[in-house]
Amino acid sequence: MSESLSTDLNFFQVKKGIISWLFSLDHKRIGLMYLYAIISFFLVGVTLGLLMRLELIAPGETIMKAKTYNQTFTLHGVIMIFLFIIPSIPAIFGNFFLPIMLGTDDVALPKLNLLSWWLYVIGALFALSTLVFGDGPADTGWTFYAPYSVQTNTNVTMSVMAAFILGFSSILTGLNFIVTIHRLRAPGMGWFQMPLFAWSLYATSWIQLLATPIIGITLLMIVAERAFGVGLFDPAIGGDPILYQHLFWIYSHPAVYIMALPAMGIISEIIPTFAKRSIFGYKAIAYSSMAIAFVGYFVWGHHMFTSGMSGSARIIFSVLTFMVAIPTAIKVFNWVATMYKGSIDLQPPMLYAMAFIFQFMIGGLTGLVLAALAADIHLHDTYFVVGHFHYVMFGGTGFAMFGGMHYWFPKIWGRMYNIKIAKFAFALLVLGFNMLYFPMLILGLMGMPRRYYDYLPQFTDLNVLSTVGSWILAIGLITMLVNLINGMRKGAPAGRNPWGSISLEWQTKSPPPLENFDKQPELNEGGPYNYKN
Amino acid sequence: MEDHSKEKQHIVSYKENFGTWLGLMLLTALTVAVSVANASLITLTVVTALVIATTKAILVAYYFMHLKFDHKLYRIMLLIITLLFSSFMLLTIVDYLSR
Repeated sequence: MSESLSTDLNFFQVKKGIISWLFSLDHKRIGLMYLYAIISFFLVGVTLGLLMRLELIAPGETIMKAKTYNQTFTLHGVIMIFLFIIPSIPAIFGNFFLPIMLGTDDVALPKLNLLSWWLYVIGALFALSTLVFGDGPADTGWTFYAPYSVQTNTNVTMSVMAAFILGFSSILTGLNFIVTIHRLRAPGMGWFQMPLFAWSLYATSWIQLLATPIIGITLLMIVAERAFGVGLFDPAIGGDPILYQHLFWIYSHPAVYIMALPAMGIISEIIPTFAKRSIFGYKAIAYSSMAIAFVGYFVWGHHMFTSGMSGSARIIFSVLTFMVAIPTAIKVFNWVATMYKGSIDLQPPMLYAMAFIFQFMIGGLTGLVLAALAADIHLHDTYFVVGHFHYVMFGGTGFAMFGGMHYWFPKIWGRMYNIKIAKFAFALLVLGFNMLYFPMLILGLMGMPRRYYDYLPQFTDLNVLSTVGSWILAIGLITMLVNLINGMRKGAPAGRNPWGSISLEWQTKSPPPLENFDKQPELNEGGPYNYKN
Repeated sequence: MEDHSKEKQHIVSYKENFGTWLGLMLLTALTVAVSVANASLITLTVVTALVIATTKAILVAYYFMHLKFDHKLYRIMLLIITLLFSSFMLLTIVDYLSR
């Protein structure tokens, strides 16, 4: 970076026109292109989810047939997992803020970064094309379990090709971040002067880089099995369906940490800022990110306790699964300890962070129930699993992403949203979310199986409650998005540092200039969270 | 920003490159020889082929991909990845053998 790049133009103003965005190498523009695309797909996924909940408002066929329901929940899963939650935080906020937080002007490989975005778009088109071609979207569930995925006539091949291409996008983003963190940290920024969001992205990137190729090759095996009848997974021709489940979950469980770790990074940024306290246990949080990434590789078998896996393997995977709770709990204790005796300012980002801790804890603790072999026999493939998963993914990662959107909004657009409306939307989201998903935990304990468009009459009341919750959640989402869009267009100027944070991204202008800083930024003495309290 | 232009670049000599290539060719010949000689001993042939292939991969990584001359960190990374991959295999095999 040159010593002085003083310019009044921010990255929005440097170039105009759609082409300047679509082929931009600027990490901030690429991050925002991801934001617009990911939020669009998120809304498609939400709409599918609302339709599913509407179908389940009463027993029997309500608005769709069984096959349509199967296709709807599969597409909901594929969009939410591969198009929303896996890329969301790394691709949006990682792209936008990682270089700024490291005090550099871009990621290490900007062209590769643009390629990642284009691969994401191509993969998304593949996923959506299943809606219009052949016999419609896959009806296998997002897991594409064999042998059914080999036999069904729906568009499985296009769906798995979408996931394959999206996997490449994810790998390239991970590679880019690893190189950027190793090579482009500002002078004087050692590993333990890095912000914790960067640490979480570093751990995530290793998972993206090492685990994603496994799902890529596994999905190609499904295509080969469908096209040529190779006999890998279909027992009718000598294959082993449990092998598919091993290969699928070797990636897809670490992928849960691709989804969760960056969310934890955002929480580690928000809490010290709004508690005005130094983060408690910086190194413990940094190391626990790496520990979660590492231990998370060895727990995939807990998805297969009732699939016919051997007893010895089940015991090993159960023990390993309990172990991954330890580094996760370390983070939660450190966040709470940071808040203890802090001057807590309940601004919208902090509210989302606190909701994250509450809901993620429910998600995590219900995960331990599922990790216990005996309990899992009863709860496997019930609504308990659906409730648990959504508490972790939506109540955790989704809320952290909303928190990140409210936290970094003034830095990205240089304007502020309406705080009162943001708090109102937050209240609706928390209420709607818990009304939607908590009944699922009870339904699961009562024995209601998941992935059916119908259910027994005794489950009706809780299903009605859950569906009403989905409507409140939808109103909350609309309120939040309208408020943010209004703030983007006509919010009051926010200034450089509206939250009074001391981390590096708040030193530069809002919105940042093209090369992020007018001059080489000065690192905070004592690390990125050295508040006086 | 750090200046990486002053970092040392190791130039591998023709002698080292040729020696590595020769080693790879000999190991390939050995794989073929073992598979022909021990054609009836399928397990032994497979194990031998895997050991030789691993040795060849290490040679390529060390000499042709410059791992030997690079920072120690990259060797540690490779080791971790190898252990990770071995763990995937081990845990899956535990299931198969004890089913």
